Amino acid sequence: MTSAAASSRQRVLDALNHRQPDRVPVDFGSTSVTGIHVSVVAGLRRHYGLEQRPVKVHEPGQMLGLVDDDLRDAMGIDTVSIMPARTSYGFLNENWKPWVLNGLEVLVADGFRTTTDTNGDTLLYPQGDLTAAPSGRMPAGGFFFDVIVRQNDFDPERLDPSDNCEEFRPMSEADLDVLERSVAGVQNSGRAIVAGFGGTGFGDIARVPGPGLKAPRGIRDVTEWYVSTRSRRDYIHQVFQRQCEVALGNLERIRQRVGNGVDAAYICGTDFGTQSSAFCSVATLRELWVPYYREINNWVHANTTWKCFKHSCGSVERFFETFIDAGFDIINPVQCSAAGMEPAMLKSKYGSRLVFWGGGIDTQQTLPFGSPAEVREQALRRLEIFAPGGGFVFNTVHNIQAGTPVENVVAMLDAVKEFHHA
Amino acid sequence: MPDLQKLYDAVLNGDQKTSVAITREALDAGTDPMVLITEYMVPAMDEVGRLFECEDYFVPELLLSARAMKGSLELIRPLLAARGDEPVGRVVIGTVKGDLHDIGKNLVGSMLEGGGFEVIDLGADVSAERFIDAVQAKNANIVCLSALLTVTMPSMRTTIEAMKAAGVREKVKIMVGGAPVTSQFAEEIGADGYSDNASSAVALARRLRAEATA
Repeated sequence: MTSAAASSRQRVLDALNHRQPDRVPVDFGSTSVTGIHVSVVAGLRRHYGLEQRPVKVHEPGQMLGLVDDDLRDAMGIDTVSIMPARTSYGFLNENWKPWVLNGLEVLVADGFRTTTDTNGDTLLYPQGDLTAAPSGRMPAGGFFFDVIVRQNDFDPERLDPSDNCEEFRPMSEADLDVLERSVAGVQNSGRAIVAGFGGTGFGDIARVPGPGLKAPRGIRDVTEWYVSTRSRRDYIHQVFQRQCEVALGNLERIRQRVGNGVDAAYICGTDFGTQSSAFCSVATLRELWVPYYREINNWVHANTTWKCFKHSCGSVERFFETFIDAGFDIINPVQCSAAGMEPAMLKSKYGSRLVFWGGGIDTQQTLPFGSPAEVREQALRRLEIFAPGGGFVFNTVHNIQAGTPVENVVAMLDAVKEFHHA
Repeated sequence: MPDLQKLYDAVLNGDQKTSVAITREALDAGTDPMVLITEYMVPAMDEVGRLFECEDYFVPELLLSARAMKGSLELIRPLLAARGDEPVGRVVIGTVKGDLHDIGKNLVGSMLEGGGFEVIDLGADVSAERFIDAVQAKNANIVCLSALLTVTMPSMRTTIEAMKAAGVREKVKIMVGGAPVTSQFAEEIGADGYSDNASSAVALARRLRAEATA
């Protein structure tokens, strides 16, 4: 453990408590929305002269690469990740085996089982069961899996909320054991521990189709779900209520295992914003989601020291007061390229009440397509705006995407170092 | 004869059951199907678009209204085809090669249908060849290309280039859209227009048709 790493956790805690840290903390890889595509992780390992070995894909949908300790040190990362025992496709992240992504050898978990269809697309199976209908598709030459919607016909008059709650079950003792061991394993890392326990994302559209289920029932079609948030609100309430009850039970059992050994908990990744607008009104957010967010976040704050992490892409400034009111401490990814998400305004209005975890650089244009000089310039500007007074963890706006030039990622990290030394 | 204002209201309120019932009743009573479209459904969808633009309506409301309109159109379309009526324009729409995301594309397609266009939806992960084939086979006037991913935006450029090479580029107007797409990018790749939402895409398509037929 280096001395720099020893102060990482304190640095993040200062930022989370809106105190000025010694320098801006940096996260990459602690969650499924602050990560790096496996191909870029491989490129960064090459760039920093680290041991050349296949990178583990720890999140199969977005093909995120595991950021190991040596790369964390090289990139100046202050966080470490606790992921749920099972991936979103329902298999355990264990027993690694080689797999090839567009010519790049990577490692995937044994449960990552695929076939190739007649178009050359790669199909991924829930719980690694090749006899089930596939739940993920990567187009030929693609970089990610998209969830395959498996929607059975249903009678709208006879919908059963338990069908949409199949994936929300009390955690097994075995999964709790994995979690406990994972947290214990990084307690002395010196880094801030960010955990995604799973089960508290209400209506997260990436999860609604049930990619980890062999035969999902209920409303699993993305469009049908969005429509239902308007036309079948009672049903959605019943789903959320049941999910919330299970989640609270799981959180208590997790707390008994890990106590305050975690610094931030990823609560919910439901996106409420689009590029130019929102998926619903503030009134709908308050009526349909906030009661459950409050129950979860209030429990966390009453029983632990964990900070509550909310992810929502897009134009979501209109929801920030409601997020704060619902007990969220952290907002991510701070998509400044969306309408009404001007960084200085966000910092001035919410900087003392919300931690901005992200917003460090745009991943739609600047990081993948800009020059290293443009990357440096934008990263420095964002640091100047977000860093004062704490309340900022440097991260890109969402995951670093495949195809992003490694020299741009390095230019971004060098800008963070330059800012620290300015 | 049913009260046709109820058709307008049903589309506006996203009530598919009622919109289909009124449409059926009206057609049975001998109402000109084009009247149902131009005097009730298109104005209702225009109002839906207006409410979306001013953020009284959001994606779920848009989807519900589009469904209501679609249900009615399924009854009306065969009648229009039988008597040889031409739509406002023919649009080929799809998400470009390598990209499986289709919600935004579906919304744009639905709103264009609501605006009186015939929409040929090629789905997601559509190759340049399929766009070209569809333009030729359907005699389309407009092509709409959608992309959600930064890694698939380049497919928009290659699709347009393939259309040039195949000699169909000048026969159509090309519109592009999707979260990472910008008007600057649209200009760079030689598209004719860019829209950042489904409602304004209809206005853009109407403008491009008007320019082409002027």
